[in-house]
Amino acid sequence: MTYRSRFLLTAGAWAASVTAALVVVPLVLRARLPEPLATHWGPPGAPDGASSFWAALGLQMALWAVFAGLAAYTVLRGDAVRHRARRKAAAAMLAGGAGLALGTQWTTLGANLGRATWRDAGAVGGRVPLVLAGAVLLGVIGRLLASAGPGDPPEEGAARLPRLRLRADRRSVWVSAASNRWMSGLCLAALAGLAVLAVLGLVTGDGRIRDTAVPLVIVAVVGWALSTVGARVSEQGLVISFGPFQWPTRTIPLDKIQSARAEVRHPLEVGGWGIRGLPGASTIMIRGGECLVVRYTSGGELAVSVDDAARGAALLNALVSARPAVSP
Amino acid sequence: MLLTLDLNDPRPLHEQVTGAIRRAVASGLVVPGQRLPPARELAAAIGVNANTVLRALRQLRDEGVLEFRRGRGVSVLASPDGGEVVRRMARELLEEAERYGHGPADVIEIIKELESS
Repeated sequence: MTYRSRFLLTAGAWAASVTAALVVVPLVLRARLPEPLATHWGPPGAPDGASSFWAALGLQMALWAVFAGLAAYTVLRGDAVRHRARRKAAAAMLAGGAGLALGTQWTTLGANLGRATWRDAGAVGGRVPLVLAGAVLLGVIGRLLASAGPGDPPEEGAARLPRLRLRADRRSVWVSAASNRWMSGLCLAALAGLAVLAVLGLVTGDGRIRDTAVPLVIVAVVGWALSTVGARVSEQGLVISFGPFQWPTRTIPLDKIQSARAEVRHPLEVGGWGIRGLPGASTIMIRGGECLVVRYTSGGELAVSVDDAARGAALLNALVSARPAVSP
Repeated sequence: MLLTLDLNDPRPLHEQVTGAIRRAVASGLVVPGQRLPPARELAAAIGVNANTVLRALRQLRDEGVLEFRRGRGVSVLASPDGGEVVRRMARELLEEAERYGHGPADVIEIIKELESS
């Protein structure tokens, strides 16, 4: 059996077992559960919200479906089995998502089990950090298991860095960008929501509206910043600009750059959209696909998702090698 | 989009920028329908005033190469006429050769050499 079929078989069996557990366990315990079930707990630890058995089960399944769906998407669309980073992401989602879904179910059922009504349900405060820690731990274990398989397939010309031929009497610059319409839409929707809230707040004078406005402001700002990213390469180095007005910007001077290359990266591999990862290994992810990856002389790397990245990398490499050696 | 400017070009800056963008479109670096980076970004990269880039973009719009759309920025409408581009480049080549003391006959010789090699 090839590694690929083993991986797919294991992942499929895992997903099926978790789904079965999520359905079968509550069905078996149903006779001992109140109807409706307590499904939400307030800050003091007492239940403050309830939903019917089937709604609670549906919510559990939806939570699990998000993780399983993301993992399936990575495996099927991103050919994750052949790429270690994607495979690790898919395995982490399958394992961590299962931990979260099963843990949430365990918490909910445990608090409701044997109670007459949902208001009598026990507190869950102590179990929440346990479930979260367990989910993270499972995710890490999934990642470790998936990293064991074969490495990435060799990419064409990976050993050779792209380089553009420069002429002394010519000046070459490269300008590119990437945008994400979903993020622009999100930003616009949040702004529209804020406008509605502002009108409502003026009309009703209800102070609680302010609490609703805060997350909307955050969504609007994040959507705005992530709707588009620009990159330009010239003798100044690499300049990355955020947002539709190309502000703020970040400049990486040539003497801090060792080399550059183009690479295909997906949001699922780097942990989502936005500025991801730690300094020294971060990705500015606006949309999946071609990324310009810059290696610092200090050893770290920065990737930014932009169109036409290969040409930008070639120009950066040419400029870096043409740069006169810095005297100490 | 990769833009290349000649440092010895005596023409006004906006014409040089026009030429650089025209070449980029003609060589297929940017294809019809594709959006151009914002003028401010282009200007910052080339190191010229944004108005210089805007002037170049307007010139190319008048030539039918670019299209301005409200809210969607500037995009490529059509590749410039191939024959015209080659003629223009040949003219530039001849001017350049002239500067190094090569006449048109020398250039033809060089082209023939390239062809036979």
